Amino acid sequence: MARDLALLIPEIAVLLTAVGALIAEMLRRPHIALLVAVSGLIVATALTVGLIGEDTTVFGGSFRVDELSVWAKLILLPATILAIFLARVDVRGTVREGTVYSLLCFATIGALVLAGAGDTMFLILGTLLTGLATFALVAYPDTDPATEAAMKFFVFASVTGAIMIFGLSYWFGAAGSTLLADLPGIDTMPTAVLLGFVAVVVGLGYKASLVPFHFWAPDAYEGGPLSIAAYLSVVPKVGALFALTQVVSDLAPDSSWAVVIAILAVLSMTYGYLAALVQTNVIRLLAYSSIAQSGYFLLGILAVGASELALPSIILFAAAYAAMNLGAFAVAANAGRTLSDFDGLGRSQPLIGIAMVIFLLSLVGIPPLAGFVGKFLLFAAAIDVQYTWVAVVAIINSVLSLAVYLRLVVPMYRQGNVVVARTDIWLKAVLIIALTVTLLLGVFAQVFVGPFA
Amino acid sequence: MLPLVSLTVFLPLVGAVLILCLPKPATRTVHGIAIITTALTLIGALSMWLQGASGAGFSQVEALQWIPAIGAAYRVGVDGISLPLVLLSAVLFLVAVIYTSSLRERPRTYMALVLLLETASIGTFTALDGILFYVFFEVSLVSMYFMIAGWGHEDRQRAALMFFIYTLLGSLPLLLAILGLYLGSPEPTFDMRAWIENPPLEGAAAMWALVAMLITFAVKIPAVPLHTWLPAAHVQAPTVGSVILAGVMLKFGTYGLVRFALQMTPDAFREAGVVVLVLGVVSALYGAFAALAQSDLKRLVAYTSVNHMGYVIVGVAVAAITLDPSVRTVALDGAVLQMFSHGLVTGALFLLVGMIQDRAHTREMGELGGLLKTVPMLGWTFVLVAFASLGLPGLAHFPAEFQIFLATLSASPAAVVVILGIAIIAGTFLKALRETFLGEPRQRWQAMPDLSAREWLAVGPLLVLTVGTGVAPSWVLGIIHRTTSALAL
Repeated sequence: MARDLALLIPEIAVLLTAVGALIAEMLRRPHIALLVAVSGLIVATALTVGLIGEDTTVFGGSFRVDELSVWAKLILLPATILAIFLARVDVRGTVREGTVYSLLCFATIGALVLAGAGDTMFLILGTLLTGLATFALVAYPDTDPATEAAMKFFVFASVTGAIMIFGLSYWFGAAGSTLLADLPGIDTMPTAVLLGFVAVVVGLGYKASLVPFHFWAPDAYEGGPLSIAAYLSVVPKVGALFALTQVVSDLAPDSSWAVVIAILAVLSMTYGYLAALVQTNVIRLLAYSSIAQSGYFLLGILAVGASELALPSIILFAAAYAAMNLGAFAVAANAGRTLSDFDGLGRSQPLIGIAMVIFLLSLVGIPPLAGFVGKFLLFAAAIDVQYTWVAVVAIINSVLSLAVYLRLVVPMYRQGNVVVARTDIWLKAVLIIALTVTLLLGVFAQVFVGPFA
Repeated sequence: MLPLVSLTVFLPLVGAVLILCLPKPATRTVHGIAIITTALTLIGALSMWLQGASGAGFSQVEALQWIPAIGAAYRVGVDGISLPLVLLSAVLFLVAVIYTSSLRERPRTYMALVLLLETASIGTFTALDGILFYVFFEVSLVSMYFMIAGWGHEDRQRAALMFFIYTLLGSLPLLLAILGLYLGSPEPTFDMRAWIENPPLEGAAAMWALVAMLITFAVKIPAVPLHTWLPAAHVQAPTVGSVILAGVMLKFGTYGLVRFALQMTPDAFREAGVVVLVLGVVSALYGAFAALAQSDLKRLVAYTSVNHMGYVIVGVAVAAITLDPSVRTVALDGAVLQMFSHGLVTGALFLLVGMIQDRAHTREMGELGGLLKTVPMLGWTFVLVAFASLGLPGLAHFPAEFQIFLATLSASPAAVVVILGIAIIAGTFLKALRETFLGEPRQRWQAMPDLSAREWLAVGPLLVLTVGTGVAPSWVLGIIHRTTSALAL
């Protein structure tokens, strides 16, 4: 028991942080809530460093402390800090400012639970935990669009969650256990395996906003505060994708699940970018782009269990994606929500312009930026397990994505309205951190890819 | 021992960062830094040249751990094929920067982009690691895109977009090929030397990798029918953009054709060699005919590039097909020298067209005329370079094309029809010279100034090198030949 708790120390730290922030808010001290949240998350990240190299499970195999779950913490906790910085800009001075920080911490625990899930019950718990916290966050501004967005989000979550629970009952019925590690035992019942798997894909696919479970994402991103959109596009998504990785690592490598993943990958990438191509709202454009980026993760998930490159590629891309996507959202928070707000941005604020160009090129996957290194390994993983055609589709989509992101870049260097908005210090912090990671991740890729020691 | 190659590769990047970091620098300072940086880079390239390259394999190799888990490392080095191209890049960037020193419109960003492009170019030619090569290869696209989009002519946005999307679509198959080579290696590595020594793929896999590479390099070279981005990009690009695009970036394609396609999938290339040969012949002839039909001087020069690069493809294809090592050496000598000469000559041509456009604000040959009398120095320079481009003996293209044709004649005589291209290009340039430079000077161009000191400094070195390479090609050929004759395929 003591050993189990010691291994869960980062999660416990995040939980205490969330509670601490909540208490500070109850005392009407939003500044202290902010301080508690940020410092608590930093402490939790630092505590995780001690766990690097662990590969074990706790509580009877139901929660895993392995490469994925440790890296999930190392990526998602800093990402949450950046999201809190962004949220600070959005909600400063509003009535219940501190609850936002607290809810963000709660949602992050949910994502971490998902990323380390070793038991189907943890899949459900993680989905609910992130879900409940993020519904409230989307609805936070208390405006009609925000309420509507939260409502859509909630209804979608309920339906997909119900389907997932229903499907998981097949696995439970067949295996007699809720542990993922017992799944190989039901290989003799391929129908049950596939039914359960499809249901898991529905439940986690909604969270990761994979096509065709993505419908909530553009509305929720657009309706809620921008910072929450940035958060939703990174933390719960990466949590859900890591959870999916945990699930497939216990399935036989050659069964039909890989085909399901391959089809979803192709659909998500292609539909995401095609839809992004016609958006005029930057947030919706970024929402569809994040749908497409989820598809890229699936290339790595395809290869889990069969290629050594699978886990490193997923982890590396998660880190890259978190940095470049948060960076792009931070620039949008500075510039505005419509494409015309970006007119002349590169001329009036050259440094922010360069930063945005770098984030967007990284999202395309142009070397030597972070996104390239991640995608490169993802392609290699997919080709390694003979899914070359998916890699080819992904590559064609990368070209399509260039057209999408250039729609933002081109107006930035037009002669435009020269409004020199003062950039918030919090935004600056996010931009600098995200930019540093995006630029340097490639150089230090060995850290993510190396033997997990 | 100084890491000379790395210094030469990254010096321009340091200059770019310096330019961007200075708070509100004066335009003079920006241009000064750019000129000093490119001059130092040229010194670096010259010292690399003096160090030379041994026959077989790569020399001056520098390596650093990068991602050992997947066998990727920072590896750079040169051989006789890449060394002339490094020198060419360094020369062209220096003259380009000198030519641009009159730019007043946002010089800071522009020079930073040019310097970034120089790092990418020299990096592409020296990279000995698959990932590193791809990184440099792609970075060049980004800076060229912004150069065209930000400083091009009338229709620049469309041309820049087309250039970026077309060439990105073109270069992604190379990524697949690199991954294929990596996954096919007995011991997973991105070391290009290992791939060359021991081609990792065979049979159908090698053929697929070759097809992927051919797509990439055919777009880059550009070979007909994947050349359509070139005229649009060239016409809209600023003068320096065109110089670099034609002089340096087209070589990425032919260099890749030798380095990747020929050296890493030699058997597949031998099998498909005839197809590539036909591609080269068609490209050369199509480029020549298309050039003949142009009335826009810049478009004309752009199409002559398609023609000249077609000869390079022919040379490489002949080297792949032939079983006789001596013929192969001649073909490759010609092909590599042709890349070098084309960089000098076309670089000079684009500079001269740019100078005419700066003065006349038109590139239509019909509107010009009689310029030889109005601006004699500019005119005679153009005549000299045009003659070099049409392959006059004693000038840079002649020894290269001669060797290519010689090898073609002994390996696949039918392909010698490509020689017709020379006649057509000769006709093209004679027509262009007549319309632009001969005839009675027109009233509206009376006040046109002749070459300024800055322009002399820009175009002068290229003229000297063009004549030098034509009269005594051995100073370049020596170093090329040492590598090509040791090449085992």
